[in-house]
Amino acid sequence: MKRRGGLLLTIVVALIYLFLLVPIVIVILSAFNSGNFLRFPPEGFSLRWFVKAAQTGPFVRSFEFSLRLAALVTVVTTILGTMAAIFTVRYSRRFRDMLRLAIVAPLQFPAILTGIALLIFFLATGIGTRGMRALFIGHTLVALPYVFLTVAAVLVGFDRSLEEAARSLGAGPLVAFWKITLPIVKGGVISGALFAFITSFDQFPISLLLVSVGNTPLPIQLFDYLRFSFDPAAAAVSTVSVLMSVAIVLLIDRLVGLHAITWTGHR
Amino acid sequence: MAGVQAAVTERPRVAAPRRFPWVQVLIVPTLLFLLVFFAVPYLNMVRMSFLLKPAEGPYLPQFTLANYARALFDPFNWKILRNTFWYSILTTVITLVLGYPIAYHLTQATPKRKRWLLVLIISPLLVSVVVRGFAWLILLGRVGLVNQFMQWAAGTELILIGTPEGIVVGLVHVFIPFMALSIAGSLQNISPDVVQAARSLGAGPWQRFWRVIWPLSLPGVLAGSVLVFVLAVSSYVIPIMLGASNVLVMPMLIVQTLLDTFNWPLGSALSMIFFGLTATILAVYLKLMGRSMRWTAP
Repeated sequence: MKRRGGLLLTIVVALIYLFLLVPIVIVILSAFNSGNFLRFPPEGFSLRWFVKAAQTGPFVRSFEFSLRLAALVTVVTTILGTMAAIFTVRYSRRFRDMLRLAIVAPLQFPAILTGIALLIFFLATGIGTRGMRALFIGHTLVALPYVFLTVAAVLVGFDRSLEEAARSLGAGPLVAFWKITLPIVKGGVISGALFAFITSFDQFPISLLLVSVGNTPLPIQLFDYLRFSFDPAAAAVSTVSVLMSVAIVLLIDRLVGLHAITWTGHR
Repeated sequence: MAGVQAAVTERPRVAAPRRFPWVQVLIVPTLLFLLVFFAVPYLNMVRMSFLLKPAEGPYLPQFTLANYARALFDPFNWKILRNTFWYSILTTVITLVLGYPIAYHLTQATPKRKRWLLVLIISPLLVSVVVRGFAWLILLGRVGLVNQFMQWAAGTELILIGTPEGIVVGLVHVFIPFMALSIAGSLQNISPDVVQAARSLGAGPWQRFWRVIWPLSLPGVLAGSVLVFVLAVSSYVIPIMLGASNVLVMPMLIVQTLLDTFNWPLGSALSMIFFGLTATILAVYLKLMGRSMRWTAP
Protein backbone atom coordinates (compact mmCIF):
# COMPACT_ATOMS: atom_id res chain seq x y z
CA MET A 1 0.00 0.00 0.00
CA LYS A 2 2.66 2.49 1.05
CA ARG A 3 4.84 1.57 -1.94
CA ARG A 4 2.02 2.10 -4.40
CA GLY A 5 1.13 5.45 -2.83
CA GLY A 6 4.77 6.54 -3.05
CA LEU A 7 5.01 5.55 -6.70
CA LEU A 8 1.80 7.39 -7.55
CA LEU A 9 3.09 10.53 -5.83
CA THR A 10 6.37 10.31 -7.74
CA ILE A 11 4.56 10.04 -11.07
CA VAL A 12 2.22 12.93 -10.29
CA VAL A 13 5.12 15.08 -9.13
CA ALA A 14 7.17 14.21 -12.22
CA LEU A 15 4.26 15.33 -14.43
CA ILE A 16 3.96 18.63 -12.57
CA TYR A 17 7.70 19.24 -12.96
CA LEU A 18 7.31 18.51 -16.67
CA PHE A 19 4.52 21.07 -16.87
CA LEU A 20 6.80 23.55 -15.11
CA LEU A 21 9.89 22.97 -17.22
CA VAL A 22 8.75 21.87 -20.69
CA PRO A 23 7.60 25.34 -21.86
CA ILE A 24 10.98 26.82 -21.00
CA VAL A 25 12.84 23.98 -22.71
CA ILE A 26 10.67 24.44 -25.78
CA VAL A 27 11.64 28.10 -26.04
CA ILE A 28 15.30 27.10 -25.91
CA LEU A 29 14.89 24.37 -28.52
CA SER A 30 12.96 26.74 -30.80
CA ALA A 31 15.89 29.13 -30.76
CA PHE A 32 18.11 26.54 -32.46
CA ASN A 33 15.59 26.00 -35.24
CA SER A 34 17.06 26.32 -38.73
CA GLY A 35 13.66 26.96 -40.35
CA ASN A 36 12.11 30.32 -41.05
CA PHE A 37 9.22 30.03 -38.66
CA LEU A 38 8.64 29.30 -35.03
CA ARG A 39 7.52 25.74 -35.27
CA PHE A 40 7.77 22.79 -33.05
CA PRO A 41 9.37 20.31 -33.54
CA PRO A 42 12.21 22.36 -35.12
CA GLU A 43 13.20 21.68 -38.71
CA GLY A 44 16.93 21.41 -38.05
CA PHE A 45 19.77 22.71 -35.93
CA SER A 46 21.24 26.13 -36.53
CA LEU A 47 22.59 29.15 -34.71
CA ARG A 48 21.36 31.57 -37.35
CA TRP A 49 18.66 33.08 -35.12
CA PHE A 50 21.19 33.91 -32.43
CA VAL A 51 23.23 35.68 -35.07
CA LYS A 52 20.13 37.49 -36.27
CA ALA A 53 19.20 38.57 -32.74
CA ALA A 54 22.76 39.82 -32.14
CA GLN A 55 22.50 41.87 -35.34
CA THR A 56 19.11 43.36 -34.46
CA GLY A 57 19.87 46.85 -33.16
CA PRO A 58 16.94 47.25 -30.77
CA PHE A 59 17.70 43.94 -29.04
CA VAL A 60 21.37 44.77 -28.60
CA ARG A 61 20.64 48.27 -27.34
CA SER A 62 17.98 47.16 -24.85
CA PHE A 63 20.16 44.29 -23.67
CA GLU A 64 22.93 46.76 -22.88
CA PHE A 65 20.47 49.16 -21.32
CA SER A 66 18.99 46.46 -19.09
CA LEU A 67 22.45 45.36 -18.00
CA ARG A 68 23.45 48.90 -17.07
CA LEU A 69 20.18 49.56 -15.27
CA ALA A 70 20.30 46.26 -13.38
CA ALA A 71 23.93 46.87 -12.38
CA LEU A 72 23.11 50.29 -10.98
CA VAL A 73 20.02 48.98 -9.16
CA THR A 74 22.07 46.10 -7.76
CA VAL A 75 24.79 48.34 -6.33
CA VAL A 76 22.34 50.75 -4.70
CA THR A 77 19.91 48.15 -3.35
CA THR A 78 22.71 45.97 -2.01
CA ILE A 79 24.14 48.84 0.02
CA LEU A 80 20.79 50.19 1.21
CA GLY A 81 19.26 46.76 1.83
CA THR A 82 22.24 45.44 3.77
CA MET A 83 22.33 48.55 5.95
CA ALA A 84 18.59 48.34 6.58
CA ALA A 85 18.78 44.64 7.41
CA ILE A 86 21.61 45.19 9.90
CA PHE A 87 19.69 47.95 11.61
CA THR A 88 16.43 46.01 11.71
CA VAL A 89 17.88 42.75 12.99
CA ARG A 90 20.45 44.25 15.36
CA TYR A 91 19.38 47.61 16.61
CA SER A 92 15.64 47.91 16.40
CA ARG A 93 13.52 46.54 19.18
CA ARG A 94 10.08 48.06 19.37
CA PHE A 95 9.81 48.98 15.70
CA ARG A 96 11.28 45.82 14.24
CA ASP A 97 8.04 44.39 12.83
CA MET A 98 6.96 47.78 11.57
CA LEU A 99 10.27 48.31 9.79
CA ARG A 100 10.12 44.90 8.20
CA LEU A 101 6.58 45.51 6.98
CA ALA A 102 7.52 48.92 5.59
CA ILE A 103 10.56 47.67 3.70
CA VAL A 104 8.79 44.61 2.31
CA ALA A 105 5.64 46.59 1.42
CA PRO A 106 6.62 47.20 -2.24
CA LEU A 107 6.43 43.44 -2.74
CA GLN A 108 2.92 43.24 -1.28
CA PHE A 109 1.52 45.95 -3.52
CA PRO A 110 0.72 44.96 -7.11
CA ALA A 111 3.70 46.04 -9.20
CA ILE A 112 1.44 47.34 -11.95
CA LEU A 113 -0.30 49.71 -9.50
CA THR A 114 3.06 50.83 -8.10
CA GLY A 115 4.10 51.57 -11.67
CA ILE A 116 0.97 53.62 -12.25
CA ALA A 117 1.39 55.51 -8.98
CA LEU A 118 5.01 56.28 -9.83
CA LEU A 119 4.14 57.36 -13.38
CA ILE A 120 1.48 59.82 -12.20
CA PHE A 121 3.84 61.05 -9.49
CA PHE A 122 6.76 61.59 -11.89
CA LEU A 123 4.60 63.35 -14.45
CA ALA A 124 2.76 65.48 -11.89
CA THR A 125 5.95 66.61 -10.15
CA GLY A 126 7.81 67.29 -13.36
CA ILE A 127 10.53 64.76 -12.54
CA GLY A 128 9.49 63.06 -15.76
CA THR A 129 10.41 59.62 -17.04
CA ARG A 130 13.20 60.56 -19.41
CA GLY A 131 16.55 58.85 -19.14
CA MET A 132 17.15 56.11 -16.65
CA ARG A 133 16.09 57.75 -13.41
CA ALA A 134 12.40 56.80 -13.34
CA LEU A 135 13.17 53.18 -14.17
CA PHE A 136 16.01 53.20 -11.67
CA ILE A 137 13.72 54.39 -8.87
CA GLY A 138 10.96 51.93 -9.76
CA HIS A 139 13.32 48.96 -9.96
CA THR A 140 15.07 49.93 -6.73
CA LEU A 141 11.73 49.92 -4.96
CA VAL A 142 10.94 46.30 -5.86
CA ALA A 143 14.50 44.94 -5.70
CA LEU A 144 15.37 46.37 -2.28
CA PRO A 145 13.07 44.00 -0.30
CA TYR A 146 14.87 40.95 -1.73
CA VAL A 147 18.27 42.17 -0.54
CA PHE A 148 16.79 43.08 2.81
CA LEU A 149 15.11 39.70 3.30
CA THR A 150 18.11 37.65 2.21
CA VAL A 151 20.62 39.54 4.35
CA ALA A 152 18.25 39.63 7.33
CA ALA A 153 17.74 35.87 7.08
CA VAL A 154 21.50 35.31 7.30
CA LEU A 155 21.91 37.83 10.12
CA VAL A 156 19.19 36.24 12.25
CA GLY A 157 21.10 32.97 12.22
CA PHE A 158 24.42 34.70 12.93
CA ASP A 159 26.31 33.83 16.11
CA ARG A 160 26.85 37.13 17.89
CA SER A 161 29.50 35.80 20.26
CA LEU A 162 32.10 35.84 17.46
CA GLU A 163 31.67 39.54 17.04
CA GLU A 164 31.65 40.11 20.78
CA ALA A 165 34.91 38.17 21.06
CA ALA A 166 36.47 40.53 18.54
CA ARG A 167 35.13 43.52 20.44
CA SER A 168 36.50 42.26 23.75
CA LEU A 169 39.87 41.77 22.07
CA GLY A 170 39.86 45.48 21.33
CA ALA A 171 38.35 45.82 17.88
CA GLY A 172 36.14 48.86 17.32
CA PRO A 173 32.56 48.28 16.15
CA LEU A 174 33.37 49.05 12.52
CA VAL A 175 36.50 46.88 12.49
CA ALA A 176 34.58 44.02 14.11
CA PHE A 177 31.88 44.38 11.49
CA TRP A 178 34.34 44.52 8.59
CA LYS A 179 36.57 41.67 9.78
CA ILE A 180 34.06 39.30 11.38
CA THR A 181 30.45 39.99 10.47
CA LEU A 182 30.78 40.84 6.81
CA PRO A 183 32.82 37.78 5.80
CA ILE A 184 30.23 35.55 7.46
CA VAL A 185 27.15 37.22 5.97
CA LYS A 186 28.90 37.70 2.63
CA GLY A 187 26.96 34.83 1.04
CA GLY A 188 23.67 36.43 2.04
CA VAL A 189 24.72 39.81 0.71
CA ILE A 190 25.86 38.39 -2.64
CA SER A 191 22.70 36.31 -2.96
CA GLY A 192 20.63 39.39 -2.23
CA ALA A 193 22.59 41.28 -4.89
CA LEU A 194 21.98 38.53 -7.45
CA PHE A 195 18.28 38.56 -6.60
CA ALA A 196 18.18 42.33 -7.02
CA PHE A 197 19.95 42.03 -10.35
CA ILE A 198 17.56 39.50 -11.81
CA THR A 199 14.52 41.33 -10.38
CA SER A 200 15.57 44.43 -12.25
CA PHE A 201 16.71 42.60 -15.39
CA ASP A 202 13.41 40.71 -15.73
CA GLN A 203 11.14 43.47 -14.43
CA PHE A 204 8.10 44.03 -16.62
CA PRO A 205 5.08 45.84 -15.12
CA ILE A 206 6.99 48.77 -13.64
CA SER A 207 9.17 49.12 -16.73
CA LEU A 208 6.12 49.10 -18.98
CA LEU A 209 4.80 52.25 -17.33
CA LEU A 210 8.07 54.09 -16.77
CA VAL A 211 9.75 53.37 -20.08
CA SER A 212 10.73 56.33 -22.23
CA VAL A 213 11.84 56.75 -25.82
CA GLY A 214 15.33 55.36 -26.38
CA ASN A 215 15.47 53.65 -22.99
CA THR A 216 13.79 50.30 -23.45
CA PRO A 217 14.64 47.44 -21.11
CA LEU A 218 14.96 44.02 -22.72
CA PRO A 219 11.66 42.46 -21.51
CA ILE A 220 9.71 45.41 -22.92
CA GLN A 221 11.65 45.18 -26.18
CA LEU A 222 10.92 41.47 -26.44
CA PHE A 223 7.25 42.08 -25.68
CA ASP A 224 6.99 44.76 -28.37
CA TYR A 225 8.82 42.55 -30.85
CA LEU A 226 6.44 39.65 -30.24
CA ARG A 227 3.46 41.84 -31.00
CA PHE A 228 4.50 42.23 -34.61
CA SER A 229 6.80 39.36 -35.41
CA PHE A 230 6.82 35.86 -34.14
CA ASP A 231 10.09 34.28 -35.19
CA PRO A 232 12.92 32.26 -33.65
CA ALA A 233 14.98 35.43 -33.06
CA ALA A 234 12.68 36.14 -30.11
CA ALA A 235 13.37 32.62 -28.89
CA ALA A 236 17.11 33.27 -29.16
CA VAL A 237 16.80 36.41 -27.01
CA SER A 238 14.63 34.49 -24.54
CA THR A 239 17.21 31.73 -24.36
CA VAL A 240 19.92 34.18 -23.33
CA SER A 241 17.60 35.54 -20.65
CA VAL A 242 16.73 32.05 -19.39
CA LEU A 243 20.39 31.07 -19.20
CA MET A 244 21.13 34.16 -17.11
CA SER A 245 18.38 33.26 -14.66
CA VAL A 246 19.53 29.66 -14.35
CA ALA A 247 23.13 30.80 -13.85
CA ILE A 248 21.98 33.05 -11.01
CA VAL A 249 19.99 30.26 -9.37
CA LEU A 250 23.03 27.97 -9.49
CA LEU A 251 25.26 30.72 -8.10
CA ILE A 252 22.93 31.36 -5.17
CA ASP A 253 22.76 27.61 -4.58
CA ARG A 254 26.56 27.53 -4.40
CA LEU A 255 26.86 30.59 -2.18
CA VAL A 256 24.28 30.13 0.54
CA GLY A 257 22.13 27.26 -0.70
CA LEU A 258 18.63 27.86 -2.04
CA HIS A 259 17.45 26.70 1.35
CA ALA A 260 18.54 29.96 2.88
CA ILE A 261 16.29 32.00 0.66
CA THR A 262 13.18 29.84 0.83
CA TRP A 263 12.80 28.93 4.45
CA THR A 264 15.37 29.32 7.15
CA GLY A 265 16.50 27.59 10.26
CA HIS A 266 15.52 24.05 9.32
CA ARG A 267 18.47 22.71 7.44
CA MET B 1 10.53 34.03 0.05
CA ALA B 2 7.71 33.55 2.52
CA GLY B 3 9.95 31.74 4.97
CA VAL B 4 12.45 34.54 4.95
CA GLN B 5 9.82 36.98 6.08
CA ALA B 6 9.01 34.75 9.00
CA ALA B 7 12.67 34.46 9.89
CA VAL B 8 13.13 38.18 10.20
CA THR B 9 10.54 38.40 12.93
CA GLU B 10 12.37 35.92 15.13
CA ARG B 11 13.80 37.46 18.25
CA PRO B 12 17.56 37.38 18.60
CA ARG B 13 18.76 35.16 21.40
CA VAL B 14 21.42 37.60 22.57
CA ALA B 15 20.75 40.86 24.39
CA ALA B 16 20.98 44.05 22.35
CA PRO B 17 24.62 45.00 21.82
CA ARG B 18 26.12 48.33 22.67
CA ARG B 19 25.20 50.47 19.74
CA PHE B 20 27.76 52.38 17.85
CA PRO B 21 26.83 56.04 17.59
CA TRP B 22 24.68 57.26 14.72
CA VAL B 23 23.33 53.81 14.13
CA GLN B 24 20.20 55.33 12.56
CA VAL B 25 22.33 56.22 9.55
CA LEU B 26 21.78 52.63 8.49
CA ILE B 27 18.03 52.87 8.15
CA VAL B 28 17.31 56.52 7.35
CA PRO B 29 18.20 56.40 3.61
CA THR B 30 15.91 53.42 3.01
CA LEU B 31 13.01 54.94 4.93
CA LEU B 32 13.41 58.26 3.13
CA PHE B 33 13.45 56.48 -0.21
CA LEU B 34 10.29 54.53 0.66
CA LEU B 35 8.58 57.67 1.90
CA VAL B 36 9.32 59.75 -1.19
CA PHE B 37 8.97 57.11 -3.90
CA PHE B 38 6.45 54.71 -2.44
CA ALA B 39 4.20 56.29 0.20
CA VAL B 40 3.91 59.68 -1.49
CA PRO B 41 3.11 58.31 -4.99
CA TYR B 42 0.40 56.04 -3.60
CA LEU B 43 -1.09 58.86 -1.52
CA ASN B 44 -0.93 61.03 -4.59
CA MET B 45 -2.90 58.38 -6.48
CA VAL B 46 -5.56 58.37 -3.75
CA ARG B 47 -5.77 62.15 -4.05
CA MET B 48 -5.86 61.95 -7.84
CA SER B 49 -8.88 59.67 -7.74
CA PHE B 50 -10.91 62.53 -6.18
CA LEU B 51 -9.80 65.20 -8.66
CA LEU B 52 -11.70 66.60 -11.61
CA LYS B 53 -10.85 65.55 -15.14
CA PRO B 54 -11.33 68.51 -17.47
CA ALA B 55 -11.86 68.13 -21.21
CA GLU B 56 -8.38 69.52 -21.77
CA GLY B 57 -5.34 68.62 -19.69
CA PRO B 58 -4.80 65.82 -17.19
CA TYR B 59 -6.58 67.06 -14.04
CA LEU B 60 -7.81 70.04 -12.03
CA PRO B 61 -7.23 70.37 -8.27
CA GLN B 62 -10.93 70.29 -7.48
CA PHE B 63 -12.62 67.71 -5.28
CA THR B 64 -15.17 65.45 -6.93
CA LEU B 65 -16.69 62.00 -6.57
CA ALA B 66 -17.47 61.83 -10.27
CA ASN B 67 -14.64 59.40 -11.04
CA TYR B 68 -15.90 56.87 -8.53
CA ALA B 69 -19.47 57.31 -9.72
CA ARG B 70 -18.43 56.81 -13.30
CA ALA B 71 -16.32 53.75 -12.46
CA LEU B 72 -18.91 52.13 -10.21
CA PHE B 73 -21.96 52.69 -12.39
CA ASP B 74 -20.42 51.23 -15.50
CA PRO B 75 -21.58 47.59 -15.76
CA PHE B 76 -18.67 46.91 -18.11
CA ASN B 77 -16.20 47.52 -15.27
CA TRP B 78 -18.06 45.08 -13.05
CA LYS B 79 -17.93 42.44 -15.74
CA ILE B 80 -14.17 42.89 -16.06
CA LEU B 81 -13.76 42.83 -12.28
CA ARG B 82 -15.79 39.63 -12.00
CA ASN B 83 -13.75 37.96 -14.75
CA THR B 84 -10.46 39.06 -13.21
CA PHE B 85 -11.35 37.69 -9.79
CA TRP B 86 -12.78 34.50 -11.27
CA TYR B 87 -9.62 33.71 -13.30
CA SER B 88 -7.53 34.46 -10.23
CA ILE B 89 -9.55 32.20 -7.94
CA LEU B 90 -9.32 29.40 -10.52
CA THR B 91 -5.58 29.97 -10.80
CA THR B 92 -5.17 29.89 -7.03
CA VAL B 93 -7.11 26.65 -6.63
CA ILE B 94 -5.23 24.90 -9.45
CA THR B 95 -1.81 26.06 -8.22
CA LEU B 96 -2.76 24.75 -4.79
CA VAL B 97 -3.69 21.34 -6.21
CA LEU B 98 -0.49 21.17 -8.28
CA GLY B 99 1.81 22.90 -5.81
CA TYR B 100 0.96 20.74 -2.82
CA PRO B 101 2.33 17.43 -4.18
CA ILE B 102 5.54 19.18 -5.25
CA ALA B 103 5.95 20.70 -1.81
CA TYR B 104 5.25 17.41 -0.06
CA HIS B 105 7.62 15.50 -2.30
CA LEU B 106 10.29 18.17 -1.75
CA THR B 107 10.18 17.91 2.03
CA GLN B 108 10.42 14.11 1.84
CA ALA B 109 13.51 14.14 -0.41
CA THR B 110 17.05 13.48 0.75
CA PRO B 111 19.12 16.68 1.26
CA LYS B 112 21.13 16.09 -1.89
CA ARG B 113 18.09 15.54 -4.05
CA LYS B 114 16.28 18.42 -2.34
CA ARG B 115 18.98 20.76 -3.55
CA TRP B 116 18.34 19.82 -7.17
CA LEU B 117 14.58 19.93 -6.78
CA LEU B 118 14.90 23.47 -5.41
CA VAL B 119 16.92 24.45 -8.48
CA LEU B 120 14.11 23.05 -10.65
CA ILE B 121 11.45 24.98 -8.73
CA ILE B 122 13.27 28.29 -8.40
CA SER B 123 14.75 28.49 -11.92
CA PRO B 124 11.36 29.00 -13.61
CA LEU B 125 10.54 31.52 -10.87
CA LEU B 126 13.40 33.72 -12.01
CA VAL B 127 12.73 33.38 -15.73
CA SER B 128 11.20 36.54 -17.14
CA VAL B 129 7.44 36.42 -17.31
CA VAL B 130 7.56 37.64 -20.92
CA VAL B 131 9.62 34.60 -21.85
CA ARG B 132 7.14 32.31 -20.14
CA GLY B 133 4.22 33.97 -21.90
CA PHE B 134 6.10 33.50 -25.14
CA ALA B 135 6.62 29.82 -24.33
CA TRP B 136 2.88 29.32 -23.99
CA LEU B 137 2.28 31.22 -27.21
CA ILE B 138 4.46 28.63 -28.94
CA LEU B 139 2.72 25.74 -27.19
CA LEU B 140 -0.91 26.78 -27.33
CA GLY B 141 -1.12 28.55 -30.69
CA ARG B 142 -2.50 27.26 -34.00
CA VAL B 143 0.76 25.54 -34.96
CA GLY B 144 1.55 24.80 -31.34
CA LEU B 145 2.33 21.42 -29.89
CA VAL B 146 -0.97 21.11 -28.02
CA ASN B 147 -3.08 21.77 -31.11
CA GLN B 148 -0.95 19.45 -33.26
CA PHE B 149 -1.38 16.72 -30.70
CA MET B 150 -5.13 17.23 -30.46
CA GLN B 151 -5.52 17.09 -34.22
CA TRP B 152 -3.48 13.94 -34.37
CA ALA B 153 -5.15 12.27 -31.40
CA ALA B 154 -8.73 13.48 -31.52
CA GLY B 155 -9.06 15.24 -34.85
CA THR B 156 -10.31 18.43 -33.20
CA GLU B 157 -8.75 21.84 -32.85
CA LEU B 158 -7.65 23.10 -29.48
CA ILE B 159 -6.40 26.64 -29.61
CA LEU B 160 -6.23 28.18 -26.16
CA ILE B 161 -4.65 31.48 -27.18
CA GLY B 162 -7.23 34.21 -26.82
CA THR B 163 -9.33 32.31 -24.28
CA PRO B 164 -9.63 32.62 -20.50
CA GLU B 165 -8.50 28.99 -20.20
CA GLY B 166 -5.23 29.86 -21.94
CA ILE B 167 -4.66 32.71 -19.49
CA VAL B 168 -5.31 30.46 -16.52
CA VAL B 169 -2.83 27.87 -17.87
CA GLY B 170 -0.17 30.57 -18.18
CA LEU B 171 -0.89 32.00 -14.73
CA VAL B 172 -0.81 28.57 -13.09
CA HIS B 173 2.55 27.93 -14.71
CA VAL B 174 3.94 31.20 -13.39
CA PHE B 175 2.63 30.81 -9.84
CA ILE B 176 3.17 27.12 -8.99
CA PRO B 177 6.66 27.80 -7.53
CA PHE B 178 5.29 30.48 -5.17
CA MET B 179 2.62 28.12 -3.89
CA ALA B 180 4.95 25.13 -3.61
CA LEU B 181 7.58 27.08 -1.66
CA SER B 182 5.01 28.53 0.76
CA ILE B 183 3.54 25.11 1.49
CA ALA B 184 6.96 23.49 1.76
CA GLY B 185 7.85 26.09 4.41
CA SER B 186 4.97 24.83 6.54
CA LEU B 187 5.47 21.13 5.83
CA GLN B 188 9.10 21.47 6.76
CA ASN B 189 8.10 22.49 10.28
CA ILE B 190 6.01 19.39 10.96
CA SER B 191 7.94 17.16 13.29
CA PRO B 192 8.31 13.60 11.96
CA ASP B 193 7.50 12.45 15.50
CA VAL B 194 3.92 13.67 15.17
CA VAL B 195 3.41 11.65 12.01
CA GLN B 196 5.12 8.68 13.62
CA ALA B 197 2.83 8.97 16.64
CA ALA B 198 -0.23 8.93 14.39
CA ARG B 199 1.13 5.86 12.65
CA SER B 200 1.76 4.01 15.89
CA LEU B 201 -1.79 4.85 16.96
CA GLY B 202 -2.98 2.97 13.90
CA ALA B 203 -3.67 5.77 11.42
CA GLY B 204 -3.34 4.69 7.79
CA PRO B 205 -1.55 6.85 5.21
CA TRP B 206 -4.77 8.52 4.14
CA GLN B 207 -5.78 9.34 7.70
CA ARG B 208 -2.26 10.50 8.56
CA PHE B 209 -2.45 12.93 5.72
CA TRP B 210 -5.93 14.35 6.29
CA ARG B 211 -5.90 14.34 10.08
CA VAL B 212 -2.29 15.32 10.77
CA ILE B 213 -0.28 16.67 7.86
CA TRP B 214 -2.95 18.70 6.05
CA PRO B 215 -4.15 20.64 9.12
CA LEU B 216 -0.58 21.37 10.17
CA SER B 217 0.28 22.63 6.68
CA LEU B 218 -2.67 25.05 6.56
CA PRO B 219 -0.57 28.14 7.44
CA GLY B 220 1.53 27.51 4.34
CA VAL B 221 -1.56 26.88 2.23
CA LEU B 222 -3.02 30.11 3.52
CA ALA B 223 0.12 32.16 2.87
CA GLY B 224 0.58 30.59 -0.56
CA SER B 225 -2.99 31.12 -1.69
CA VAL B 226 -3.04 34.74 -0.55
CA LEU B 227 0.24 35.39 -2.35
CA VAL B 228 -0.86 33.69 -5.57
CA PHE B 229 -4.27 35.37 -5.56
CA VAL B 230 -2.75 38.84 -5.15
CA LEU B 231 -0.16 38.16 -7.87
CA ALA B 232 -2.75 36.64 -10.21
CA VAL B 233 -5.25 39.46 -9.77
CA SER B 234 -2.63 42.05 -10.64
CA SER B 235 -0.89 40.18 -13.44
CA TYR B 236 -0.73 42.01 -16.71
CA VAL B 237 1.77 40.34 -19.02
CA ILE B 238 0.28 36.84 -19.18
CA PRO B 239 -3.31 38.02 -19.79
CA ILE B 240 -2.24 40.45 -22.50
CA MET B 241 0.01 37.91 -24.24
CA LEU B 242 -2.20 34.84 -23.97
CA GLY B 243 -5.50 36.72 -24.15
CA ALA B 244 -4.51 38.04 -27.59
CA SER B 245 -6.73 41.12 -26.98
CA ASN B 246 -9.84 38.91 -26.78
CA VAL B 247 -9.84 38.83 -23.01
CA LEU B 248 -9.67 41.89 -20.79
CA VAL B 249 -8.64 41.92 -17.14
CA MET B 250 -8.68 44.79 -14.68
CA PRO B 251 -4.95 45.73 -14.78
CA MET B 252 -5.21 46.00 -18.58
CA LEU B 253 -8.29 48.22 -18.28
CA ILE B 254 -6.54 50.48 -15.77
CA VAL B 255 -3.41 50.79 -17.89
CA GLN B 256 -5.54 51.57 -20.95
CA THR B 257 -7.44 54.27 -19.07
CA LEU B 258 -4.17 55.86 -18.01
CA LEU B 259 -1.99 55.50 -21.07
CA ASP B 260 -4.44 55.49 -23.97
CA THR B 261 -7.13 57.89 -22.80
CA PHE B 262 -4.87 59.84 -20.38
CA ASN B 263 -7.60 59.89 -17.78
CA TRP B 264 -5.52 59.87 -14.61
CA PRO B 265 -8.37 60.58 -12.17
CA LEU B 266 -10.55 57.79 -13.57
CA GLY B 267 -7.61 55.39 -13.75
CA SER B 268 -6.76 56.19 -10.13
CA ALA B 269 -10.35 55.65 -9.04
CA LEU B 270 -10.45 52.30 -10.85
CA SER B 271 -7.19 51.35 -9.12
CA MET B 272 -8.65 52.23 -5.72
CA ILE B 273 -11.81 50.22 -6.33
CA PHE B 274 -9.77 47.29 -7.57
CA PHE B 275 -7.51 47.53 -4.56
CA GLY B 276 -10.40 47.73 -2.12
CA LEU B 277 -12.23 44.74 -3.62
CA THR B 278 -9.08 42.61 -3.62
CA ALA B 279 -8.51 43.46 0.03
CA THR B 280 -12.15 42.64 0.86
CA ILE B 281 -11.99 39.24 -0.83
CA LEU B 282 -8.78 38.46 1.04
CA ALA B 283 -10.29 39.55 4.36
CA VAL B 284 -13.29 37.26 3.84
CA TYR B 285 -11.02 34.40 2.82
CA LEU B 286 -8.74 34.85 5.83
CA LYS B 287 -11.75 34.93 8.14
CA LEU B 288 -13.16 31.72 6.65
CA MET B 289 -9.78 30.01 6.79
CA GLY B 290 -9.27 31.15 10.36
CA ARG B 291 -12.55 29.48 11.27
CA SER B 292 -11.75 26.24 9.49
CA MET B 293 -8.31 26.19 11.06
CA ARG B 294 -9.94 26.35 14.46
CA TRP B 295 -12.08 23.34 13.51
CA THR B 296 -9.13 21.25 12.56
CA ALA B 297 -7.01 22.34 15.49
CA PRO B 298 -6.38 19.48 17.89
